[in-house]
Amino acid sequence: MAKPALILVGADKGGVGKTTVARTLLDYFTAHHVPTRAFDSESPRGTLKRFHGDAADIVDATSVSDQMRIIDTLSTTDSTVTIVDVRAGLLSPTLRSLRDIGFLDAVKKGQITFVVFHILGSSIASLNEIEETAPFVTDAKYFLVKNFINNTSFFEWDQATHSSYFKKLKDAVAITIPKLNEMAYEQVELASVPFLTFVANKNQKAEAANYSFVLRGYVRHWLGNVWAEYDRVKLLDIFDASTNVQAARPQTAAGGSANRP
Amino acid sequence: MAQHTPLYIIASQHPRVGKTLVARLLIEYFRLSGRPIVGYDLDPREPALASHFPSFVCPVDIADTRGQMALFDRLVADDWRTTVLDIGYGLFDQFFTVLPEIGFEQEAARRGIVPIVLFITDAAPTTARRYAELQKRLPRTIFVPVHNEATAFMFIQRLSADTAGMRRHPHPAAVADRARRHRPARFLVRDLSRQAAWRTDRGPYLDRHHFFGVSRAGIAAAHRRARILAARLRRSIRRTPQQSGLAPPGLIASIRSL
Repeated sequence: MAKPALILVGADKGGVGKTTVARTLLDYFTAHHVPTRAFDSESPRGTLKRFHGDAADIVDATSVSDQMRIIDTLSTTDSTVTIVDVRAGLLSPTLRSLRDIGFLDAVKKGQITFVVFHILGSSIASLNEIEETAPFVTDAKYFLVKNFINNTSFFEWDQATHSSYFKKLKDAVAITIPKLNEMAYEQVELASVPFLTFVANKNQKAEAANYSFVLRGYVRHWLGNVWAEYDRVKLLDIFDASTNVQAARPQTAAGGSANRP
Repeated sequence: MAQHTPLYIIASQHPRVGKTLVARLLIEYFRLSGRPIVGYDLDPREPALASHFPSFVCPVDIADTRGQMALFDRLVADDWRTTVLDIGYGLFDQFFTVLPEIGFEQEAARRGIVPIVLFITDAAPTTARRYAELQKRLPRTIFVPVHNEATAFMFIQRLSADTAGMRRHPHPAAVADRARRHRPARFLVRDLSRQAAWRTDRGPYLDRHHFFGVSRAGIAAAHRRARILAARLRRSIRRTPQQSGLAPPGLIASIRSL
């Protein structure tokens, strides 16, 4: 059986696109036939749950019973990958809890694969979170996600500041989420379906919908670019499931993946 | 055999090269042939084509997403009638950026729509490079260069004016005067009238009436222009798809009838 994997998607700052990134990850794993489940810690009303009703459950990340529901079932669930969309402000407390319960020790021993997607905002406060998070992710795969969906800048114009944050952690890998056309983003919000379902022009009941071809095109193009980033960092290779996944991922004649959105 | 619906995209990255003239000729031709047709004028500042055919040419501004939806959503839905797009030079880059980004070629292929870019050439050094770039970026689209001799002349004239101080491209004063007084389309007529080839062309639509003009002289002049341009278009279009091997048989049959 494949080694269980936990992916935390979070940030202490709000409105930086945590749920958007979690949604792209769910779509990515779905398209690559990796059994995946998700937890939305925006209790009691989850945003992730609204888009991925079948795959996501709402939990209260601060409650012990819900922590047990996530962690204790990692090795017994049919899903290879568990994604937790961590509510704003709860990334550091969640990491502390994982340390306290011995989860990080299990990661160190190689019993569990642990991946953190740290979504960054454009403020110094957000970048300072990197330093707070660093002690907990020494044995994890740590991704610093620059989300440009809000036209954000990450101090690239000030190389000293930029380098002081992004080059400090030598094991951290930066991922860039490009900007998505605003109207396309809003149309997917209205549709309340996964990005892939929107591209396929289906509604929540998997029936044919009537979304704009232009907006679907923008989402397809954007999702393709996001997935190209996941391919670049070899996300699938991190999980043991990758060996099975490659077989289910035939290459097209042009050399690209047949699983493109 | 599967039905193929042509989508004619008349484009140039420079103004005053005859885009709208070619669009008008195509529309008139298809209209007189009784083919169902719709047109879009993508020049929000000067929607000349829409003003000529207000009943079936819509002005569209694709500078924002709403305008792009108004155009491309209708294009993919209109997979049963011939479509002519006149792209204003100001939106040339925008159009050819959006087209691959939204996956238009793939959707068009799925719906049997065959995009054909009638690319109006000129003497600007960047034009040939741009033509090659677009061909590479849109591999499923047929590109047909349209040579408008009058505009080539205009570019030479402009180039001469730019470098007049350096005396690199001297030209007679009469030529500059002619450039000022006449519209490019008339240059085309005059330039081509010296060649014998155009006189042998007898298109059936030349006998039709209600073409362009308001006066008999105007109609006659417009017919002459139409005949010359249509002959050149026919030659270009016939040659290009067969040479490239990109065009399906239905398309070749379709454009031969042009």
